[in-house]
Amino acid sequence: MNININNLRFTYPTGLEALKGINLTIDSGEQVAIVGQNGAGKTTLVRHFNGLLKPTTGSVSIGDWETTKHSTAKLASRVGYVFQNPDEQLFSRDVLTEVSFGPKNLGYAKEKIDELVKRALSLTELNDKTETNPYDLSPTWRKMVALASIIAMDTPSVIFDEPTTGQDAVNVGRIAHVIAELKKEGKTVITITHDIDFCAENFERVIALAKGQVLLDGAAREVLGQEEILAQTYVDPPQLTRLGKRLGLKETVTRQEEFISAIARRA
Amino acid sequence: MHERLSFHIKRDSFLHSLNPLTKLVLTLALILIAFTFPYYWTPHILVLAAIIPLSLLGKVFREFSVTALRLIIPAAGFLFLMQAFFQPVGTDIIFKFYFLDMTMESVLFAFRNAMRVFVMVSAFTLFLVTTHPSELMSDLTRRGLPGQFAYVIISTLQILPQMQAKAQTIISAQRSRGLDTESSFLKRAGSLIPLIGPLVFGSLVEVEERAIAIEARGFTSKQVKTSLHEVPDTAFDQFLRWALLVFIIISIGLNLWLS
Repeated sequence: MNININNLRFTYPTGLEALKGINLTIDSGEQVAIVGQNGAGKTTLVRHFNGLLKPTTGSVSIGDWETTKHSTAKLASRVGYVFQNPDEQLFSRDVLTEVSFGPKNLGYAKEKIDELVKRALSLTELNDKTETNPYDLSPTWRKMVALASIIAMDTPSVIFDEPTTGQDAVNVGRIAHVIAELKKEGKTVITITHDIDFCAENFERVIALAKGQVLLDGAAREVLGQEEILAQTYVDPPQLTRLGKRLGLKETVTRQEEFISAIARRA
Repeated sequence: MHERLSFHIKRDSFLHSLNPLTKLVLTLALILIAFTFPYYWTPHILVLAAIIPLSLLGKVFREFSVTALRLIIPAAGFLFLMQAFFQPVGTDIIFKFYFLDMTMESVLFAFRNAMRVFVMVSAFTLFLVTTHPSELMSDLTRRGLPGQFAYVIISTLQILPQMQAKAQTIISAQRSRGLDTESSFLKRAGSLIPLIGPLVFGSLVEVEERAIAIEARGFTSKQVKTSLHEVPDTAFDQFLRWALLVFIIISIGLNLWLS
């Protein structure tokens, strides 16, 4: 299910113009990272994908649904959105009820709900915590509960808003695993992130936003190599990319294997 | 994303530039005079001669009118009706509604009380809109108000807008999970639970975090604290405060003398 963004402009009631004409197409099954400085419009942009915000001018459509014509509750069946702070959405007494909340809202049959919840729980490694109150879990596990509660909705597209902020290395690994599994299932994953190494390792396409406009858009390797342009939106290329540049490697490298093989070729 | 943390509206106006204490005294003066000055039309005159000009002077007339129409006038109107019907004064019945009587005296009495309430709420609204809470508190603590007291006031002023912003985020998060908050009343009533839980819990956590944060900055320290932010207090401010104080004393004095 493609996401089409057509000349999208958005002005907040305060008068701040957060998006100044965005044109994008995100194809079904793509893994997209959105980067850019604070205030570049990243969150404002993705909140249009499930209709939390409606365009001031221009349009956003998810498949054949234009977001202005459907409520967020309805669009939730096509786009899942994991908020940055899990505490803003967890309310149930135990993890199982929490994770079932989304699919129940979407009105799936009971067997399907059970199956989806089970899959989401095993994907996020929460199987042994189903009876626990989410607030008795550590912040890192609460984040996983929030992830599971959206994944269980089985939407064709999933949005993550800064999933790795405040997470330890082990949990970042778990989140990367979840994204890889969603990719295998053919789902579209859109992630806002400031963690540029995480971005380099897990995403094929990177969109850099600056001051409400698309600064760069393309394959991760092409975008992350543009050190000067990325600097305009205060994004540094990944550590390995910068190291590769300083070492005078001809091609842009973003991941460990690429770096090692590039060094090996040169030696 | 753009959360308003208080009722304050940032404008460049004469009213904004006054010292916070001056505005506080002005607010109290308006309220006390409206309630004590022994002349029937006092609150009505204050609305026309003080509240409305002040809102213009503070460049917040539009926002003030919206608040007045949506909140203050309905509340004062309700008070008027209740008192007009239930105040057992006068015999000259001018309107009857089943067993409820409205007399000329009760209408006049209710009208004045409603206007007094209107002056009170309006004056406070203007004060809150034109004064940044932290400016008010840094000025008052500089004058010797205990920090704990300042904290209670400032957190009261800020809690509503903060909770509002928080509630908005929670509603967005739950709508993203397919929670229907836009259709029938029954459905919406049922959807309250997923909203209240995170709001209450989150607010409690916030209170604790804030307490730790301010203590980490020496909140209960007995030392005299300096402030980075100087709040101006001009000779005009001082003159205005004394003048207002004189008005308050005259008003209360006349009230006591004539009663």
